[in-house]
Amino acid sequence: MQDRGDTAKVRIGKFDLNSERAFLWVCLVPVLVFLAIVAVAPTTAAIIDSFRELSLLSFGARGEFIGFENYRELLSSDKKFFTAVWHTCLFVVVVVPIEFCGGLAIALWINREFRGRRLILTLIMIPTVIAPIVVGLIWYLFFLPTFGLFTQGLNDLGLFRDTGVFSTPESALAVLMLIDIWEWTPFVMLILLAGLTAMPKAPIEAATLDGASRRQILWYVQIPLLRPLIVIALLLRSIDASKIFDTVYVLTGGGPGDSTEMVTTFAHRTSFMTWNLGYGAAICLVLAFASLVMAAIFYRVVARP
Amino acid sequence: MMRRLRRILYAVPIGILLITTVFPYAWVLMASFKVHEDLFSRPIRWLFSPTVENYVEILDKGFGAYFLNSVIVGICSTALCLTIGTLTAYALSRYRVPAGQHLFFYILATRLGPPIAYALPMYLIFDKIGIANSLIGVILAHATFNLVLVVWMMKSFFDDVPREVEEAAFLDGAGPFRVFFQIALPMTYTGLVAVIIFVLIFSWNELLFALVLTGGEDRTFTAMIPSLVGHPKGLWPQVAAACIFQSVPVLVLIFFVQRYLVRGLTFGAVKG
Repeated sequence: MQDRGDTAKVRIGKFDLNSERAFLWVCLVPVLVFLAIVAVAPTTAAIIDSFRELSLLSFGARGEFIGFENYRELLSSDKKFFTAVWHTCLFVVVVVPIEFCGGLAIALWINREFRGRRLILTLIMIPTVIAPIVVGLIWYLFFLPTFGLFTQGLNDLGLFRDTGVFSTPESALAVLMLIDIWEWTPFVMLILLAGLTAMPKAPIEAATLDGASRRQILWYVQIPLLRPLIVIALLLRSIDASKIFDTVYVLTGGGPGDSTEMVTTFAHRTSFMTWNLGYGAAICLVLAFASLVMAAIFYRVVARP
Repeated sequence: MMRRLRRILYAVPIGILLITTVFPYAWVLMASFKVHEDLFSRPIRWLFSPTVENYVEILDKGFGAYFLNSVIVGICSTALCLTIGTLTAYALSRYRVPAGQHLFFYILATRLGPPIAYALPMYLIFDKIGIANSLIGVILAHATFNLVLVVWMMKSFFDDVPREVEEAAFLDGAGPFRVFFQIALPMTYTGLVAVIIFVLIFSWNELLFALVLTGGEDRTFTAMIPSLVGHPKGLWPQVAAACIFQSVPVLVLIFFVQRYLVRGLTFGAVKG
């Protein structure tokens, strides 16, 4: 069937509305037009902006082309940027493995039939399916200075009596990580559970007949079969965690100081608060490029047989 | 007896897990029925006389209309990226598309960059063609960002459909359109439903594009929540009500369709 595209070429001359060639056009023209309008154009605009000295607040910067100056400044001397990069890396390296291990454990634990499974699964999925901004606000209400439930609990233990949880640099970052883990572990669980559900039963039964223990089955049968989904889950989570924005934006706005500044909040501050658009575009493109490299590496891993 | 004990031992971790995921949400649910003084009290007031005041207030602020906007954006953007995406996925799965791999990777790339990198350029371009500050802009933006999920997932589901069935239909004289709509698409039903739910929820929950690309009357529900947060008088009970209002439809949807999520979210990666 792969060569259907070639056989279609024979009929280039006549225009048959029901031909495969016409069908292929119908399939691909919409996506190409669509991508051109809403993806290629903004990306191109962002790339062009990143080469300009463009700021809405400064009269001196009205969009002259300055070549790689934005990138040079960003990558060689901007300490704030490197702080943001460091926080983002730290964040990803901490939360993704925890979310993965937690998600796998829950998926294996819950992968059987029991009463009320539908309701229980729905309840477990709450953190993942509600909006990130709602997640942020839920936790804000929890850690509300003086009146929040957790704040009162921590105060009773003698902690955070003078300053809020979000006004202490270390705890602010730690709580953001905790929230991310709370929010996304069920997502990893869901993907892996889908894999476990779809998994063929025969290899497991064969291993059981051969006298394999549960741990051996897990390690030598289930995990290898899950491998593609494990990679997808890790890929999606790593990329999305490196783009964390909504919760940080509502909860700390990058502060106190710059202790929870992420690359995205740094870009947001640069573009939408100091209106330094050219520089902001450069930051975003560097992040996009980093994600692209990450995806390419993961792809190679997935493609390996 | 032993069986019973094992059952209990099995249920304990699930119970702990449920408390972890449900309790924060339940607490905000409770807060949404409190008046300001009940929420801002020390110690915590577990017993209080519930009020629907907060919900009435946010409806007075026009949140009903914003809710409708979110529904429109969700449905339109899902329909749009699903139509474009399934066709693309099918073509990539079945035909030798010139530069198909590059197309695939480019579609993936639109999701890789941070939304913030595209939000402003999109706004400027939409402003030029006159669809800035309208629902159309945010519909297009959501469709773009969800397109990759649709193409990626649907391609893997189409790859799983045995080609023999389609071959047979071709031999019986069916055209490619008929084969696509009557054979290939129905066979990916479970996966298709999973994709639709996913895309709908992403659009419903999305904040940044909605903030940048909409304005005035045309804001989505999610994008209006921050306006309550920034209020100088601190409308926290109303914020809680808005959060509940925003998330309940999602939870109801998930309850009814999660069977499809658990079956369909395999990205076609596990052959079963």
